[in-house]
Amino acid sequence: MEPQHMKYVDLKGRELPLGGLDAQERRLVAELQQRAKSHPDWDDFENYWTAAVASFYDARGLPRRESREKLVYKIAQDLSSRLAVSAGLARPPDYRDELEEIIRMSFPTRREFCKATGLSEDMLSHVLAHRKHLAIDTLSQALDRIGFQLRIVPRRESAVSSGVGSGGSEDE
Amino acid sequence: MTSDRLVECSFLIPTHRDQELSDGELHSIDAWNWLTDQLYGLFKAWTRVPGLHRGMWESAKTGKPVPDQSRRYIVAIPEARIDELRRLLAEACSVFHQQCIYLSVAGQVEFVQAPLGGAAQESPGPEGP
Repeated sequence: MEPQHMKYVDLKGRELPLGGLDAQERRLVAELQQRAKSHPDWDDFENYWTAAVASFYDARGLPRRESREKLVYKIAQDLSSRLAVSAGLARPPDYRDELEEIIRMSFPTRREFCKATGLSEDMLSHVLAHRKHLAIDTLSQALDRIGFQLRIVPRRESAVSSGVGSGGSEDE
Repeated sequence: MTSDRLVECSFLIPTHRDQELSDGELHSIDAWNWLTDQLYGLFKAWTRVPGLHRGMWESAKTGKPVPDQSRRYIVAIPEARIDELRRLLAEACSVFHQQCIYLSVAGQVEFVQAPLGGAAQESPGPEGP
């Protein structure tokens, strides 16, 4: 199985191609997957992966704000997320959490987001507090106004994968 | 040399969203990952204390005691960067849908609130009895 053809599928069903990882990064990913399997306690793994990934990239002289964009960081965080969800300590995100993330990343305030999408502030407040849902056409129109769209993706296995190339990782 | 002195700060993040501001449900994994991203980007070292910490606080809205359980984080930072941590926790109030977050700075306790106009402030909760 050639590394350039492998990919990691995260909790949200996004495919992360592993072809760009160098040998040391691939080794670190394999170690983290093994660690998540052998030490599935969420706190333990969270402390472990953040220290392991930080020291790996700190040694390469990479600033933290850059190393947290690396694929290895995202895979490690996803492994941790799977442990939290399978232990019932956190829930997988739904569209309302993703809306909240869009607001946090792209808009200075909720008010600005509402102006851009045409949603009312009152409705948004209820939706983000998980007290109400948006109708699918309302959500679709609101997202379209800010350059996003709804997408249906296959549901993925939420078990921790046992190594690069199996479980959360797949051949193309 | 004073600016190099490290101060131990610890803070508590409740495991559930506030039930007066929000729905009282478990946080989405995105919220925890946001916190990890921030800590990773800002500070050289921190730890999450294993296990859950059970506690009780009095709701300012209802005057009733509210039991909760939290995850505890410890960060050792220079005194000059404590305000950065406060700002992070103010934002965390919004991300985690909390009224405030317990912060201990070298044993001195404070409660960090969401900034005015922050998401937590904008979410009207159900009226208390």
